[in-house]
Amino acid sequence: MALPVLVVDDSALARKILINSLPAGWDVTITQASNGRDALVQYRAGRASVMFLDLTMPDMTGYQVLEELQHEGLDTFVIVVSADAQQGAVERVKKLGAVAFIQKPVTPEKLLPVLKEYGFDA
Amino acid sequence: MTHEHMLSEDQRDALQEIANIGMGLAGARLATLLGEFIQLSIPSITPVRVEDLPAVLGKFVGDQEFVTVVRQAFTCDVRGEALVLLGDDAIPELWELMGYDPASDTLDAASEQEVLIDLSNLITGACLSCMFEQLGRSLTFSPPTLMGRRVSLTQLLRPEAMAWDLSLLVEVKFSIENHTFCAHLVMFTGEDSLKTLKMALDELLECM
Repeated sequence: MALPVLVVDDSALARKILINSLPAGWDVTITQASNGRDALVQYRAGRASVMFLDLTMPDMTGYQVLEELQHEGLDTFVIVVSADAQQGAVERVKKLGAVAFIQKPVTPEKLLPVLKEYGFDA
Repeated sequence: MTHEHMLSEDQRDALQEIANIGMGLAGARLATLLGEFIQLSIPSITPVRVEDLPAVLGKFVGDQEFVTVVRQAFTCDVRGEALVLLGDDAIPELWELMGYDPASDTLDAASEQEVLIDLSNLITGACLSCMFEQLGRSLTFSPPTLMGRRVSLTQLLRPEAMAWDLSLLVEVKFSIENHTFCAHLVMFTGEDSLKTLKMALDELLECM
């Protein structure tokens, strides 16, 4: 069965770049969310075994999504995808349960080793 | 404002995203300089008339009466201006973050100016170079100049002294948790460069 993958970013371009960077042969069903609230709705509907999560978003930030996910038991692999290049940001999201941090701009070269590490290689 | 000056939704989204990535890099540089975690904002993109610039920029700094502004021009096939704005309340804290004790160390005007220029150069260079690199362009910068120290924006940005009637304004904000320190980086381009910028954004969108 295809793996449900959720791509959360307020930028349509950023979502597109990420989706284009996923391994071609990976059997996934991709859902997109443009804000944190919709991300949680999609997560609760079972559409996020893996979640690619942006941090700076209007209304509800990626940090807030991670906090809420923790309250709800965090039943997903969250890979944070952010422009933030500070080591402090990596530490913060890992403390909040994210398994990995990928710095934008996303490329297949940055994405593949992370997916492999968690056994998500196609 | 005529239609041709407006960005399409795709162009606006792309510009915001490349600004976001530029800001991330500049924020990391600033974090290293100040030894603090820098909170990033969502870049804002606004078309503005030049006569409205002081009011729009004034809102960014929380309507403080006086601001300190460092200016740098940038060029590739897109030309524009970058300003770093610091509100009056950000300055004393900046000295503290940079390791000067306001009680015992008195900074002379020249040293103050040097710190302000270095800081601005750091975030402007990192952010804008990274933005335009994503558009396949390499920028040249003019040397940064302290445009005004504790001046009012209305005085500083008189419409008759500006080269353009209309600008596209991109703003990013760097702040620190539990501190009042906040720096704003704004860049704007005139009408002629806007056309080129839109083409560059279209090229980026097409290759995705």
